[in-house]
Amino acid sequence: MAVTTIPARPPASRDRHRRGKSRWIVLAVVTIAALVMLVPFVFMLLNAFKSPGDYSTGGPLSWPSEFYTKGLSNYWNQVNFPLKLWNSLLIAGSVAVLGVVVSLLNAYALGIGRVKGRLWIVGLFLLANMLPQEALIYPLYYAAKQVGLYNTQLSVIIIFTVIQSAFGTYLLASVLSTFPKSVLEAASLDGAGKWTVLWRVIFPNLRPTLAVLLIFFFIWTWNEFLIPLVMLIDNSTQTIPVALASLQGDRLMDAPTTNAGALISLIPAVLFFIIFQRTLSRGITAGAEK
Amino acid sequence: MGRFRKLGVAVALAAIAGTTLAACGSDGGGSSSEGSDAKVLKLWHYESENSAMGIAWDKAIEIFKTEHPGVQVTFERKAFEQIQQNAGMIINSDEGPDIMEYNKGNATAGLLSSQGLLTDLTEEATKRGWDKELSSSLQTTARYSDKGVMGEGNWYGVPNYGEYVMVYYNKDLFDKNGVTVPTTYDEFTQAMDKFVSKGITPLAEAGAEYPAGQLFYQLALSKADRKFVDDYQLYKNPVDFKADPLKYGAETFADWVSKGYVSKESASLKAEDMGTAFISGKAPMIVSGSWWYGRFKDEMKANWDSFLFPGNKFSAGSSGNLWVVPTSSKAKGLAYDFIDITMRPEIQALIGNNGGVPVAADASQITDPKNKKLIENFNTVSSQDGLAFYPDWPVPGYYDVLVSGFQSLINGSKTPDQVLDAIAKPYDDGVKEITGK
Repeated sequence: MAVTTIPARPPASRDRHRRGKSRWIVLAVVTIAALVMLVPFVFMLLNAFKSPGDYSTGGPLSWPSEFYTKGLSNYWNQVNFPLKLWNSLLIAGSVAVLGVVVSLLNAYALGIGRVKGRLWIVGLFLLANMLPQEALIYPLYYAAKQVGLYNTQLSVIIIFTVIQSAFGTYLLASVLSTFPKSVLEAASLDGAGKWTVLWRVIFPNLRPTLAVLLIFFFIWTWNEFLIPLVMLIDNSTQTIPVALASLQGDRLMDAPTTNAGALISLIPAVLFFIIFQRTLSRGITAGAEK
Repeated sequence: MGRFRKLGVAVALAAIAGTTLAACGSDGGGSSSEGSDAKVLKLWHYESENSAMGIAWDKAIEIFKTEHPGVQVTFERKAFEQIQQNAGMIINSDEGPDIMEYNKGNATAGLLSSQGLLTDLTEEATKRGWDKELSSSLQTTARYSDKGVMGEGNWYGVPNYGEYVMVYYNKDLFDKNGVTVPTTYDEFTQAMDKFVSKGITPLAEAGAEYPAGQLFYQLALSKADRKFVDDYQLYKNPVDFKADPLKYGAETFADWVSKGYVSKESASLKAEDMGTAFISGKAPMIVSGSWWYGRFKDEMKANWDSFLFPGNKFSAGSSGNLWVVPTSSKAKGLAYDFIDITMRPEIQALIGNNGGVPVAADASQITDPKNKKLIENFNTVSSQDGLAFYPDWPVPGYYDVLVSGFQSLINGSKTPDQVLDAIAKPYDDGVKEITGK
């Protein structure tokens, strides 16, 4: 296979055992930061297994007096969790894949193809990404209604593919504009067309970056709230964050059930991250070996 | 707070949308009896499954099904947030429900009715007698003018339940400290003095959310009459913030803080903190609404009960949320039948027996003594036309104004006079915008 890759890693410099005291300080700071990041999760875990009465009496910091799992099962049944999980997976998965494909194609044109005024085009893409969603929501609603996509998962998939690929295009176009010309020239001397260059030269080199984008797109879309809330009005089309919001009432909140719901809802995203983290590192090492 | 900011955005968007919507809204009109031969009734509400309304409405759906064989009811439980933010967009599409629960008030039901998105229910209300079953202060939130201001005009919604602000107290703490249940305002302050002398803060408060504003309103209402409520809520006449009852409300509130009835620390607390302080037995009393009732009943271990705010004829309170029929409903006739079922004594009693406050219940049908008291107290307020709505209702965005105002009153950074100034201006500006005067 005519796969050409560029060495990605800078050569390891000094012996890492020589760095002395500063290493321990850095380690301590990182440990403290990690612990601070874990605090909210600890609270979530603590309160997910607490009965509402227990929570109200002892507050959020107390140790649960019994191992209460009804919050978990209540949430599971109340919102029909498997269906919401499927909707979320479908939407976030489709957006992640489509978003990466669209970003790559856009970036190929802008970064390698040297389109005229590409700086402005990239800037425009970034602007689309930075616009607050509140400002987009009404035009989107109106457009979706006109084309008959209101209240379908497809509408959300299309919207987020565009929003996410705007960021992806910006990122990949910058990466590709620094792509060594010599490699491209070598490829075209070998008689590779534009399409072949993209899939045989660019794609293998970008694979680690694309994998990172894929994971980001998935998790960002997974956590999206406002647009799914507006576009998906039937319970049968809704995503997990919208289902989670249904636990919050007008004036009352049910903290333990909300925590239990958050716990269940978090698991798929974490699992996804762990699984793809491994393929991600495999992708990087595969590139480095060549 | 976040929700209210989002609400603001939603309202603004809806306002922008208004002109376009009005054009689209009219094609869904037609005669009011249309859709009684529909085969599906799409029904949405956002009450939780085991709440009083949830239970009662499940039963109402069951009755509806037996009385309408051949009609399929597709019920979906929605998120409050979703309806609060998107109702206008949802019912302006073909995907919306045939009947749904919606929030009462000018910014919600009023706004949608003025955009032509809600069906006028006046004819049905008179025909089916809903106008007789609901007291006049309950009807206020069901009727909206063509500008969407509540109080008079056509019927756009029908409330099934009510809510009101009262005093909840912890009986065990009262007994332990030898305090008797007050029936007058003087006895109320004496009871609080007694707690203070024993080193207990008598009232749990929450300065960061609605409770502080409601306590201020409750205190002001002790010097108020219906004319004041109409002026303040329905803009009948200008309101002077530097005169009683509002002046009295703010000064008494400050007095309560200085006497230690309300802790200075509560300035930054949320309603949830206030509720859990009461449930856990740390605070002997709270002044808050009937929406807590079911939760206290489920979760509180100590003995507790409630009484009306001593010495007040008026109480903060109103009808609950409304049944509305969108203009785009494809089964209006069926929707009216369903509303009628929810108003029946059987369903109303079910709301009452599960700890809700039914609007048209016979208290003798309520079995649990505590539930009965809750409803009798409500009926007392409602029958003397004493529901005074909520202090943040008159003007959009007023909630945040009141929160910051009374937060600074609790922590002592502003005098009552300064607070009244701070809350008067946004009120005046807002009213000007609405009435155009």
